[in-house]
Amino acid sequence: MVNAGEKTGTVRDTYAPKGKRTTWSWPGKAAALILGTALLLTACGQGEGGTAGASDASAKPAGTVQSAGDTAEASGSETPEALYEQAKKEGKVIVYSTSGRANDAAETFMKQYPGIKVEVSKVKSDEMMDKVTKEQDAGQFNPDVIITKEVSGAVEEEMVKPGRYVKYLPEDLAEKVDEPYRTQAEGYANYLEFRTIFYNTEHYKSAPVTNWWDLTTPEFKGKVYTADPLSSPAFMDLFTTMVIHSDDMAAAYKEKFGKDIELHGTENAGYEFIQQLFDNGLVVLKGSDDVLDAIGKANSDAVGLAVSGDVSKVEEKGWSILPIYDIKPKTSVPDSGYLFLANKTPHPAGAKLFIRWMMGEKDGQGEGMTPFNEVGSWVPRSDVKTKNEVAFEDLNLWVFDGEKLYFEAPKVRDFWIKQK
Amino acid sequence: MLHKPVLNTRQARWLNRCRDALRNPLYLIGAAALLFLAYTIVWPVLNLIWSTFVWKTQDARLTPAADPGHLTLYHWSRVLASDMSWSLFYKPVLNALSVGVTVSALSMVFGCGLAWLVTRTDVPLKKTITFLAIIPYLLPSWMLSQAWLTFFKNSKIGGTPGILLSVLHVTPPDWLAYGFVPIVLTLSIHDSVYFFLLVGAALSSMNSQLEEAAEMAGAGRMQVLRRIVFPLMLPSVLSGFILIFTKAVSSYGVPALLGTPVNFYMISTMLYSSMRSRLTTEANVLSLTLMLITMLAIYLNQRLLGGRRSYVTVTGKGSAVTHVPLGKWRLPAAAGTVAGMALIAVVPFIVLLLQTFLLKDGSLSPDNFTLHYWAGGSDPNINTGEKGVLQNPIFLLALKNSLIIAGIASVAAAVIGLLFGYAVARGKNTAMGRLVDQLAFFPYFIPGISLAAIYITMFAKPVLFIPALYGTITIIILITVVKELPFTVKAGGAAMMQIGPELEEAAVLGGASWFTRFRRLLLPLSRKSLLSAFILVFIGAMKEMELIIMLVTPRTETLTTLTFYYVEKGYDQLTNVVLMIIIAIVVAVYALAVKFGKADLTKGWGGQ
Repeated sequence: MVNAGEKTGTVRDTYAPKGKRTTWSWPGKAAALILGTALLLTACGQGEGGTAGASDASAKPAGTVQSAGDTAEASGSETPEALYEQAKKEGKVIVYSTSGRANDAAETFMKQYPGIKVEVSKVKSDEMMDKVTKEQDAGQFNPDVIITKEVSGAVEEEMVKPGRYVKYLPEDLAEKVDEPYRTQAEGYANYLEFRTIFYNTEHYKSAPVTNWWDLTTPEFKGKVYTADPLSSPAFMDLFTTMVIHSDDMAAAYKEKFGKDIELHGTENAGYEFIQQLFDNGLVVLKGSDDVLDAIGKANSDAVGLAVSGDVSKVEEKGWSILPIYDIKPKTSVPDSGYLFLANKTPHPAGAKLFIRWMMGEKDGQGEGMTPFNEVGSWVPRSDVKTKNEVAFEDLNLWVFDGEKLYFEAPKVRDFWIKQK
Repeated sequence: MLHKPVLNTRQARWLNRCRDALRNPLYLIGAAALLFLAYTIVWPVLNLIWSTFVWKTQDARLTPAADPGHLTLYHWSRVLASDMSWSLFYKPVLNALSVGVTVSALSMVFGCGLAWLVTRTDVPLKKTITFLAIIPYLLPSWMLSQAWLTFFKNSKIGGTPGILLSVLHVTPPDWLAYGFVPIVLTLSIHDSVYFFLLVGAALSSMNSQLEEAAEMAGAGRMQVLRRIVFPLMLPSVLSGFILIFTKAVSSYGVPALLGTPVNFYMISTMLYSSMRSRLTTEANVLSLTLMLITMLAIYLNQRLLGGRRSYVTVTGKGSAVTHVPLGKWRLPAAAGTVAGMALIAVVPFIVLLLQTFLLKDGSLSPDNFTLHYWAGGSDPNINTGEKGVLQNPIFLLALKNSLIIAGIASVAAAVIGLLFGYAVARGKNTAMGRLVDQLAFFPYFIPGISLAAIYITMFAKPVLFIPALYGTITIIILITVVKELPFTVKAGGAAMMQIGPELEEAAVLGGASWFTRFRRLLLPLSRKSLLSAFILVFIGAMKEMELIIMLVTPRTETLTTLTFYYVEKGYDQLTNVVLMIIIAIVVAVYALAVKFGKADLTKGWGGQ
């Protein structure tokens, strides 16, 4: 405004080339800076609370939040009847879910328990963390039920431990629940799937891969596909787990090649595996569906890394594929669909009732479980019959160690990026 | 007061100036614009900047040296000067820059050529051409890349081979199938509509007498083009250039699909990865570097325009537009253009439409046709019992929300764009004008997700006179308006710059208030640009997803968030049904705008 000193307000020099006057164009930036600093000062006054990112807020509210969590967890003893009475008064349940299965469960729930309306918001797991953190920091407690996948341990570290997501397991159902989901894991998972190798059933009569190291042999040069772990962290979690359990990987190497593994400038057998995979011409595609399209649409001798749950889409998509459920040293690491109560849920009874419904109620026969008990996914309840040929107990999986993954994952990601 | 001594001339002049400034609506608008921009853009950006200099608890993941709450340069040095930098930053930046520049250049050729053909020649079928030009923009850009793969896919990524390979037995080389070339081409096809509309509006309001005068003075046709038309079009062309450059540099869907198979990463794909891996600060640093790149681009833009920045093309004198006769090229030109555009616009569209009626994708036998995906009830054998879209209980709610959001946001964005554009155009030699111009450009560089995350905090509680907007539709409208500012302000500014100030001066002499001037003079004269801004924002709002997904609550579900569920489940047909409905709505709105925007619109956009 300072140099607006042309004669009249309507700036007149429209025709005349003003030449050097434009040297002023950059001071605009300076003005922005000044304005910026001023704003920054005013803003520091009104709220220190973390604004960008999620993070720093987690330290503060932890104390108060934790106690709320404790009460919620402790009260896993209500009967469904009592919950229903209470829930009818509350009127509705708000669900944030990463999975569309919640919508299916909500529909049957509303039939079973008239008078309660379930509203489902679909959000990706990482965005949900930001959303809930921001909401709760601003004093808004919107969701009741959280259905989410892990993001390399971040859900446990940033949401569960600070008490934003609260573990809930009804007492009468707990004994039927398989470990680690009964006591060890961060919460109860209503289903789990995992990343594994798929092959084309027209080309191969039986599984062409029995050991992860098979993928590094000349036989599979340029014939291994994976969804991009840089954009889907769940894929990175598998590789990170291999790094964490590099001893297993080294042992499997010895079993396959009959000699000790030789590291080529890498830290351990896990990293070595990633590097050799790249050296063998690993092809990275955008998503899991792209991988299965690549190997399953036409006869193909290639194999690909995709989500076990995708087998349920086989008919729809016209893929000729099968997943491999037994690979050495371990097939994979579980990717669990956790059920949580949200901190300070506005409709606690309805929330608990809905979680019970999705768990299949006491006898594990409830209709609410149907969407979760599919081929390619497992329900970790001893009294629920799986649709897969392999039972959950017999799956040869690494344990998902949230805390270790959380701290190891960025390093493995860096290593991955550097391979490019 | 009366006794007050006469001020000396310097003071008097100064006082006059102040009074003038206060009375001049330009400064009021400018000040309002700056306030608005400060709160909705500058403040979030400062948040971003600040976050990149502070350790967070999360950062313990990256280095044990992390000391939460304290200042650090770690994040910047990690991105810019560590052993990671080449793969994480410099290579993606170079890729992004080369894609950005090439896409802008190609779009300029497509867009300007088309605009010239439609507005300045006597080519037939103008309305059809104009309509076709908008279709690629209606489709999500990743869909165009999918179409590209259908033709050019080679054996590298397996699956069904591309048409070129299976029918003609030609194996397309990797460079043609993936990476730079296809990314540039699909983005150019998708975005050149911006050029077409911006330049088209400018060209059609340019008085042919200028050209005729030059011709009479003996200038050749090339000379007229070079010395008259091109300089006049320069502001619009450069606006378009910057706009498309920024859009291309920050696009995610297309590079993700076509780039990953050949390890072609851009800053935007890296940023998405950081986001998803919860390395929020790294993502913030990357988006700030994107912002720096734009600022540089805008700076170059202003340098290029220099003082010649504005040429007035609307002068209030009668402006007859004479059309260049194409002679014997008239029909071939029309046929070629329509055919070419039909190929890139209509074919993918028809394939998608057809797909919504196919029970199983890919088979065209008569018993495979069905309306199930549109209106069918629950059938356990299809999509595990998922009902047709029209039967979906939240469909009506989503439809209503989408219409409200897109409707209000597009009108608001167009008008705000015009007002801000006024401040930019009339205040172009003031710091204020330039600041508005530059700040308005930022939203393209703040990734939708980060902007939305910051907005939750900003609008979850009432602040001063601003109520708690989170959870309402208003916040979605607001963020849509903000996100589209780069385009609407550029369009508004370009339109305003072409309207001669003497028209306004005349109105001032005639005693018209500023509001009257705006309503009776500026608004009608910039109607074309206003309408194109309206339509583009409307389309953008109908398609928007990443931006609003965090701000949506069950009650504010929209058509696009509905597709999110379908996409995740892999229900292709249902996804396409929703897409078709969105396209139908946009086409209807477009038709209405043409009908009620009357003569000027048709003139600017083609037709008689």
